[in-house]
Amino acid sequence: MSVWKTNDPDVKKILYVQTHGEKDPERTATPFFLATAGAAMDNEVCIYFTMNGPQCVAKGNGEKIIIPRKGGGGKELKFFIEQAAEIGVRFLVCQPSLDLHGYTMDDMIEGVEMIGGAAFNDMACDADAVIGF
Amino acid sequence: MTDVIKEDQVLDCSGMLCPMPVVKTSKAMKELQAGQVLKMIATDPGAPPDMEAWSRQTGNELLRSTTENGKFIFYLKKK
Repeated sequence: MSVWKTNDPDVKKILYVQTHGEKDPERTATPFFLATAGAAMDNEVCIYFTMNGPQCVAKGNGEKIIIPRKGGGGKELKFFIEQAAEIGVRFLVCQPSLDLHGYTMDDMIEGVEMIGGAAFNDMACDADAVIGF
Repeated sequence: MTDVIKEDQVLDCSGMLCPMPVVKTSKAMKELQAGQVLKMIATDPGAPPDMEAWSRQTGNELLRSTTENGKFIFYLKKK
C-alpha cells in the first residue's frame, strides 16, 4: 500500500523534499508555496522533511521562523504551512531526522505523518516529479 | 471584434501574489458547475503563464487571457 492516495492516472503525484530548517529561514517557505500551487492544480502533493527539514514542522517554529524580506516586514513560516495544509498538501517526516533534533512525533504540528526510507523511495519511484530543496 | 464572454462568477485577485491567485482560482472553480465560466482578475505579473499552466494541468479551459488597464483578465470554463 503506497503512501500516495490517488489511483487516478490523471492526477499527478509531486513529491517535494525539504532539507533546510531554522538556520536557513530564507530556504523554508518556497517548498510550502510551490506545493500549495501544485495542489491547487489538482495534483496530489507531499513534502518530505529530512535532515533539518523537520524543524519547519516542529510545534512553535512556524511562529519563530521568519522569512526575511529586504527592507523588513518578513512573514512567519506559519502562514505558508497553513496555506499548504489547507489545500491538502501532506507533510511527512522520517525517524532518523527526528532523532537528529531530539524530536518525537509529539513535537510535530498536527497532521504530520511518519514514513521510513523504504516508503520514501517507493513514493519517489511512483511520483511524476520529485523536487529537492 | 471579439465575442463577449459572459461570466457566471467574478474573482478579483488584484494585489495578490503567487501562489494566491492560483489557490483562489482553484477554490472558486470547485464551486462552479461544469460549463460555467469564471472571470479572474489579477495584477501579479506571473499570472498569465500560471493560469495557462493551471488550465493545461487541470483541464479547465482558458477561454481568453487579456490585459485591460494594467490588469490581467482570464476567462476560465469549468470542465
